[in-house]
Amino acid sequence: MLQPKLKSKVRCTDLDIGEVTKVVLDPLSHEISHIVVSMNGSGERQVAMGHVQAVTDDFVQLRAASTDILALPSFKRDDYVTTHEVEISHLEDNLHVTPGEVLVPLPDLEKNVKRRTFFMNFTHVIGFLIGLPLAYPILRFLMKPMYAEFDNQWLKVGNVSKIKQEDVGVQFKYKKKVKEVFMPEYEIEKNVWILRATPELLEKVYSDKDQEFRDAKGKTIWTNKKDVPYVAFSGKCPHLGCGFKWRQHKALGQVFLCPCHLSIYDAGGKVLDGPAPRGLDALPVRVAANGEVEIIDMEFKAGTKSQVRIV
Amino acid sequence: MKAGDMDIKHSSPATIPDQPPGIIDKLVAFLDERVGLKEMQAKMLNEPIPGGSRWAYVFGSVLLFIFAMQALTGMLLMFYYVPTADHAYDSTQYIIHEVDYGWFLLSYHFWGSSAMVVCVFAHMSQVFLWGAYKKPRELLWLVGLALFGIVITFGFTGYLLPWDQRAFWATLVGVEILDKAPLVGDFIARFLKGGPTPGQMTLSRFFVLHVMILPAALMALAGLHIFLFRVAAPAGPFKGTVEEIKAKTDYFFPRQIWKDIVGMAFVFVGICALALWEPVVLLDKATPDPGDYHPEPEWYFLFYFQLLRLKLFAGQFGQFLGAVALPVAFMVLLVALPFMDKDPERNIFKRPIALISWIAIMVVIALFTVAAVINREFLD
Repeated sequence: MLQPKLKSKVRCTDLDIGEVTKVVLDPLSHEISHIVVSMNGSGERQVAMGHVQAVTDDFVQLRAASTDILALPSFKRDDYVTTHEVEISHLEDNLHVTPGEVLVPLPDLEKNVKRRTFFMNFTHVIGFLIGLPLAYPILRFLMKPMYAEFDNQWLKVGNVSKIKQEDVGVQFKYKKKVKEVFMPEYEIEKNVWILRATPELLEKVYSDKDQEFRDAKGKTIWTNKKDVPYVAFSGKCPHLGCGFKWRQHKALGQVFLCPCHLSIYDAGGKVLDGPAPRGLDALPVRVAANGEVEIIDMEFKAGTKSQVRIV
Repeated sequence: MKAGDMDIKHSSPATIPDQPPGIIDKLVAFLDERVGLKEMQAKMLNEPIPGGSRWAYVFGSVLLFIFAMQALTGMLLMFYYVPTADHAYDSTQYIIHEVDYGWFLLSYHFWGSSAMVVCVFAHMSQVFLWGAYKKPRELLWLVGLALFGIVITFGFTGYLLPWDQRAFWATLVGVEILDKAPLVGDFIARFLKGGPTPGQMTLSRFFVLHVMILPAALMALAGLHIFLFRVAAPAGPFKGTVEEIKAKTDYFFPRQIWKDIVGMAFVFVGICALALWEPVVLLDKATPDPGDYHPEPEWYFLFYFQLLRLKLFAGQFGQFLGAVALPVAFMVLLVALPFMDKDPERNIFKRPIALISWIAIMVVIALFTVAAVINREFLD
């Protein structure tokens, strides 16, 4: 059945009673549920679509007699909102009540434009030509500080006289000058754990081999000799980079313990328990005759099985 | 919008009758003629809520309110905060101890972020349990997930800004977790840190993210979220026949707006109370040595922090599982959810897998959070 149109004449079984002045939409089904009929001057009536028998282009035929329709209560405009005043998406999608199309003339300049697609693509191309040359400079701009060169300076961290006992982790704090982009060098506080190792512990740490440190080109920077009794561990936990401590553990005795994710290492840096993927990172260390300790500050990527130097 | 406009509407939402024109009415008429205010207002307020307004529907509006307050307090904090490694800590202390009501605004901002996470969580749980992510609301769900990511990133970036020990270590570990992503992890971590180790560049980058990029992204996506919500219409209750639901349906204004505003007032009072009773206290200034401090993330990340302590996630592969595979798999599942779950059934009591999964996740979060708290004792 066609949808009733506005202004259509409404005919009852006996006579014409007026015309369609409004239609009412069901908010759930989005279908027309009622028509509102002007009763030739005696007010408006709301007529359910169930009363409608047939709809033609300009006629709505009802099943009821005119007296029945007149007996319906008056249409109460205040019980309704217009479709412009309510937010029900797609409410009007099924609606074809508008009497005819509503048109506006096309501007003269828009007539006979042949290359709409060309202009559309041209717009995109210009957009890309503006955007693309910017992408690389922006990326480089943001990447400036990301890959700094390694600094292999020896740093003084303190005197070994601070170490009273063998095979016990002692924290040494030191300051490192860091140059960050534009800023004058400023100092950050760092820490390293140093042990005076017994021969047994040295054996565990070095497995009877000197430990070599190489730069990116493979050139040897320094070698920790296996018989030098001082061992230095980077203060950064190889699990996820927290700072670990020297602690008494109930079952394992004195250990390095990281409070973050509870990785536990023995005095030689070996993993005893917890999630760490590798042991503590030994650093290049040298001790002068007067007991002054120097290290090369290095940091390694956390969370990997093998050591990957990042600082 | 003036209060009078709303009062007029309660008897009939259809018309806005003429008043004897006062100066404000004339101004409104002037604007209405040029902007179409009244129609816009009507459209905003006359949104049918299938099955009627409910207290359960307040979370979306409450989240908008929390965000507005975070924006306000955040802007105020920037009047004194200095985002440099040298001054971030001192300027934050200055806000807390010297600036009038600085402690309150900072504490409000701090607790507001927790409230945000709690409400996002409630909002998402609700959509999940109500089955409101299903067709035709898939895009609404996806944009919601993006907003969830933004809220989490907000918390993560904001946490660093005071530059105390708590801030520094939570950030350091958080970035190391990102570093574990295959191929791009190293780049992302260096990109965020602005170098191989955290420092001034990290603070600058987190600051820009926190005060410029994330707010813009959140506003854009929240707008899209509300637009999609309006296009798709509210899902409504999962029980009841069409006729029953229709009989209970009302408009967004006034009953739902009333409930929303009460919800906002409740949250506002709650955040104020927390700010008063538990104002923010900074730890020592950040140094790369935690000293006696046991690093820990914000409370809503504690369960994940504790999860990473599991033996299951030990070693390089375990770490990949915990830091990358698990969170990515979880997010992928959430993204795929409306496309995998095509069953139109929305009643949670007829969706056993959904119900059990939700309970399981809640139990894991609760257990591991408690475990993390208990673990604190054993560290000292």
